[in-house]
Amino acid sequence: MRGPLTHLQSMLLFALIISLAFGTLGRRRPAERLKYAAWSFCLFVIVGVAIGWLMFPFSR
Amino acid sequence: MNEPANERPQLEPPVPEPASTQPHKSLEANGREFFALLIGVAGWAVPGLGHALQKMWGRALAVFLAVGALIILGAGMRGNLFTSRGEDAFATLGYFADLGSGAFYALARFLESAGPDVSHSAGDYGTRFLATAGVLNLLSALHAYEAARGRKA
Repeated sequence: MRGPLTHLQSMLLFALIISLAFGTLGRRRPAERLKYAAWSFCLFVIVGVAIGWLMFPFSR
Repeated sequence: MNEPANERPQLEPPVPEPASTQPHKSLEANGREFFALLIGVAGWAVPGLGHALQKMWGRALAVFLAVGALIILGAGMRGNLFTSRGEDAFATLGYFADLGSGAFYALARFLESAGPDVSHSAGDYGTRFLATAGVLNLLSALHAYEAARGRKA
């Protein structure tokens, strides 16, 4: 690793790992697993970015 | 004379099962419950083992890799790995979350030989990665336990 990950990179990595685990645990068929993993990944990222923007006014 | 219209139909008493089959059934149920409990404990101790023992190879591999990746990344970011000597309720809660990763808790302690550094954001993220690894492993162990009990998983 060249250096510490940025906030966004950390969040994306976190979302990717957890989504893949959720997809594999939560569904049986490969197509359903992929769909569920993609869906939860999108939700992780969207909610994360939304909470980030909500906290923006209090950051200074 | 007619019978009253609102007379309740008499229910037939339940037919008891033969006495000889009841202890056998109970033993079988207890055995299955004990096996499920063992599966749950195995799944907690080694991430993915609970599923592997039930030949759910895909899930076992996914849990092992996900928990392992979170532990390696969290320790690499020098996240805080809580100990049993927590000073407040949050530290104790963090300890239980970290302990959820079973044997990988010891691995994280081994990997993080330099100790935690939460003075940077990476260290703070690392703390979350380590705690999430534990909680994810607990969830997976519970899933393996339910599958062993015969619930749809």
